[in-house]
Amino acid sequence: MRFESFSHMLRHWAETSPDRPALLFDDGGGVGQLSFAQLKDAVDKRADELRAGGKTCLGVLADGSLGCVIEIFAAAQAGLQIVMLDAALPDKVLTGLLGYADVDSLWGDEELREELAPALTPGVKDGAGKLLFFTSGTTERSKAVVLTDHSLCQSAYNGGEKLPLSPEDRLLCMLPLGHVFGFVCGLLWGLSCGAAVALGRGPRHYADDCVFFKPTALSAVPLLLGFLIQRRLFNPELRLVLVGAGDCSRPLLEAAARMGVRVSFGYGLTETSSGVAISVSGDPFAMEICPDDTITLAEDGEILIQAPTCMMQGYYKRPADTAAVLTDGVLHSGDLGRFDEDGKLHITGRKKDMLVLPDGTKLFLPEYEAELMRALGHPELAVILMNSRPVLVYSGEADEKELAEKLRPLMAERPRGQQLARILITDDPLPRTATGKIKRWELQQKMERTL
Amino acid sequence: MTREEVLEKIRKVIRDSVPEMVGSELNEDTVINTETAIDSMGFILVICKLEALFNVRIPERQWSKLSTLGDVADAIMKRLPQA
Repeated sequence: MRFESFSHMLRHWAETSPDRPALLFDDGGGVGQLSFAQLKDAVDKRADELRAGGKTCLGVLADGSLGCVIEIFAAAQAGLQIVMLDAALPDKVLTGLLGYADVDSLWGDEELREELAPALTPGVKDGAGKLLFFTSGTTERSKAVVLTDHSLCQSAYNGGEKLPLSPEDRLLCMLPLGHVFGFVCGLLWGLSCGAAVALGRGPRHYADDCVFFKPTALSAVPLLLGFLIQRRLFNPELRLVLVGAGDCSRPLLEAAARMGVRVSFGYGLTETSSGVAISVSGDPFAMEICPDDTITLAEDGEILIQAPTCMMQGYYKRPADTAAVLTDGVLHSGDLGRFDEDGKLHITGRKKDMLVLPDGTKLFLPEYEAELMRALGHPELAVILMNSRPVLVYSGEADEKELAEKLRPLMAERPRGQQLARILITDDPLPRTATGKIKRWELQQKMERTL
Repeated sequence: MTREEVLEKIRKVIRDSVPEMVGSELNEDTVINTETAIDSMGFILVICKLEALFNVRIPERQWSKLSTLGDVADAIMKRLPQA
């Protein structure tokens, strides 16, 4: 079904299938459920409270709980601008983001809300319908991508057209809702198909959520998929896994297939409200373009996306940044791709100076390396990816232990997946282009040969 | 329980959970991310096992700050029920 907004989606299912389970959750050790009619009632009631509260911009410290989902739908219905925040970010980063995004109220952990209260702002005048998502390498200088409940619903429709779920399905939502892939493919995909969505219980339960909720489908980032496969944590009812938000190895997908689970791979960006291409059969890396979208390739192979129903409005308060990537409705993705003889899209690399990590987060290298240079007082260094983890290559004389100690405060400010896995010291200068840019691929191959 | 006893249990949990760490030297200065084979999912697994073992809860917001084995031991010691 194609829905115009969250409210439209909830109203439709509450009217046509009021008693069908919409959300499943941990209810004190058993699986509790909220029907579509109950969910709509809870959202309507909370939306009335939010309207009466007079706030204009809600920051959601998204924890994926039942209350969190109701709050997001209610805030959208009440016409508040919604800013999706990752509660795991350091206070300093969150404080900066609240100011930038005009947040005047917060939902989430009480202690954290109290800590962040001094950073709240007077709010915003024209935020109705907007949901702001930060790209998945969030720092103080991050850009917020302006999406709407309409664009997110269209994205869920696109996914559902390619990978339909039935009302009998159970989609397990294990990914953070503050990440657009988690929000669309972990939550809206299921609800828009009229399926029940099981709200995962967070990282502490990654190992037992499948057994607890018995899903038939789930969305995962490559790191989570690897964890579930290696430890054989799939439940027998599981039939479909949608993987996205990062590069995934072929052996991993083949291992899932051997366990009787169909794996589809999705490609998309926060800027396009999540997926624009999904593999639906055969080779999981050969993706079909979603119904509303058009993809072409630039001369250098860069993937250019037209997604009229799902495209971002722009980067919040950053018109120059928006203009740099979005021209006449065409988004320059920064990713490289090719089409095969059947017209299916394959991702072949990245044009941007960015690493996509297996946990779905992105590492923007110029910014990351500048921080490392400042901390170490040394400009000759570069970050590469080895065994899917970030590794520092330091050119010059140094002691590895001393470098690690100097970097310790900086690393503590980064999510664990973005912390350096190794420090390699080399006497050789870093390979660079004529313009001084690091030849990262050459450096990576050289370091792999050295090891 | 002494800090050394906590550290010893941490070493055991790591070696039991991460096969690559069997036989590796693990001291309180060992940096988990750069000096062990524990990736971010492995870290979650280890922390969850330690929380269950010691009956403590370390807030998720603190996880990224746990750099060394000593940091993990301190976080557990701070939350151990008083005898």
